Amino acid sequence: MSFRKIDIDALEEDALGQDELDFQEIGELRPQHEVESQVNNRAQEVRSLLQRGNAAGALTTSLQDPPYGRNFGVAKARNTQTVMEVLNSIKVAEVPQLVKTLGPQEQDVLMKYLYAGMAAPEQNNSGVLLAWHEKLTEVAGQGCIVRVITDRRTV
Amino acid sequence: MSNTLRPYLGAVRQTLTAAMCLENFSSQVAERHNKPEVETSTSKEVLLNPVIISRNDKEKVLIETSVNSLRISIAIKQADESERILAHKFTRFLTQRAESFVILRRKPIEGYDISFLITNAHTEQMYKHKLVDFIIQFMEEVDKEISEMKLSLNARLRAVSEAYLAGFN
Amino acid sequence: MIILEYSNRIIEDTLNARFNPENKPKPIEMSFVDFDGVSYHLSTLEGQDTKLLLSIRWKCWPELVSYGANDVLQREYGPWITSPESGYDFSLQFDLENLGADPEELIKKVGLLKRNAMAAPYERAFDAQAMAEKEENWDPSSSQLMAVHYRDGEAVYIQHQQDRVTVIFSTLFKEETDRIFAKVFFHEFAEVRKKSIFSHCPQVLYSNREPPLEIRYVPGLLDSESQGYVTFVLFPRNYIPGAVREETISRIQIYRDYLHYHLKCSKAYMHSRMRARVSEFLKVLNRAKPEDNSGEKKLASGRTFRRS
Repeated sequence: MSFRKIDIDALEEDALGQDELDFQEIGELRPQHEVESQVNNRAQEVRSLLQRGNAAGALTTSLQDPPYGRNFGVAKARNTQTVMEVLNSIKVAEVPQLVKTLGPQEQDVLMKYLYAGMAAPEQNNSGVLLAWHEKLTEVAGQGCIVRVITDRRTV
Repeated sequence: MSNTLRPYLGAVRQTLTAAMCLENFSSQVAERHNKPEVETSTSKEVLLNPVIISRNDKEKVLIETSVNSLRISIAIKQADESERILAHKFTRFLTQRAESFVILRRKPIEGYDISFLITNAHTEQMYKHKLVDFIIQFMEEVDKEISEMKLSLNARLRAVSEAYLAGFN
Repeated sequence: MIILEYSNRIIEDTLNARFNPENKPKPIEMSFVDFDGVSYHLSTLEGQDTKLLLSIRWKCWPELVSYGANDVLQREYGPWITSPESGYDFSLQFDLENLGADPEELIKKVGLLKRNAMAAPYERAFDAQAMAEKEENWDPSSSQLMAVHYRDGEAVYIQHQQDRVTVIFSTLFKEETDRIFAKVFFHEFAEVRKKSIFSHCPQVLYSNREPPLEIRYVPGLLDSESQGYVTFVLFPRNYIPGAVREETISRIQIYRDYLHYHLKCSKAYMHSRMRARVSEFLKVLNRAKPEDNSGEKKLASGRTFRRS
């Protein structure tokens, strides 16, 4: 009876696979080493900005051009870590002001990273992320959340 | 720790409200079937990104959305053995009454203590904001109830031990 | 009712009714039970409605006899003892026309039949300890470990040392909930004993799975998570002969049933709480449903109409 368990739809020519879904949203993927080196460079840049006390600059830089796609597990983890460093080093009192300066694109990316951070409560401080989430929703609204859960470009 | 409770519940409320945009959707795989897509997960294109909202590594909420259904799973705080057993008993008690709790899923998702499954039929029959209210109130009260039960258990057993020991000379 | 009664209420009530001279003697045939798998049989002799026969059956009776139960029972019930009814371990016979000087007292004593049978190993251990205390070179190996397997899979072990008597209950928790509630119970027990007004009470130790040193060598102990061991350490001040000793023996005997009784009560309480809470939740959920407007409406005149 094992033939009943075969997923025949997957064998059809116009079946929709994960790769196609990704392609529709993300477009052509960049080579892996290029993405990783970009992420690493950004991490250093962000760190030096933080050391100089430029929190706003570090935040916007860390949210630029995040790595999308399924094949970049390492780069994604590295970039999430960078963003978390920035979020943790900013004082709670400054958060509302900073959030307002972000553009809509950056707000969406930030929201993606907030959820990504909360998915790993062992590594990240959920309290800080929840505070950011609250402030960001006040400014960006629920549309921002909807865009995060519908966007296939996950971080 | 209670200062993170408010933003935690707030985040869950906002996310739920945002995610609860459900519409009728017939199955693309089997003709004349209409199933919660989040459960069957046969068509990738109608599933949205699952999100996790966590307060700490013990308390978290998983929200999985699809075009016609939404699944929310809650991990309840369990600090010690007796809280664990009380939470387990309580959620079991609830799931046995899933028939009257229309949105309750009979079996929780693995790694969580209790799950709710909200479909487009529910959001059509009921007020969406009140459904969200229910989930939030549930999360609030379940913690309170478990700690109260634990306290009363301790108090009761203490009274019992006192009564027993009082008989010795 | 926080504390369980030491005596058997059915025996007391039935005998009270029977011993009352105003009630006419009539035939009786009763079978009933007590804690720990004890069965009783109360009947009148064939054709003799004034002769009452009370028999007891208990799994561990041979063990109790070997620890001197017959002496204790002889002391308590001397003139009433008769040869055991077939299928039972021990029988008492009463003649309604000759109840002795104090029927009230007799009823009380008979109600404690199970307790008195079980008291034998305790009394023996207490006496042995008193002897041991006087000896200068007491040999610990002379102390006998008395085991009474009074329930399936559960037993009580009694042993005397030179200055104390230890009583160990092995008890089985069928459910994980019971086990965890019991842990909470013993924690509270230890807390309560720390108070100065309870400092004279026997020390109570609890261990899960791991048997205490005294009985570690006993073969056939169940090695499982559901097994618990409760140790009472009794010092001579806890069993001064007389009322104190009798009370201590009774109290220790009800221990196991008392614990389980209150675990059950706690569970029942939790259950009723959850029931209340669940109906609260249900109310909240039902608030999400819009009110039903399709029903019939009444006009002031009493006529009804239907809103379309």
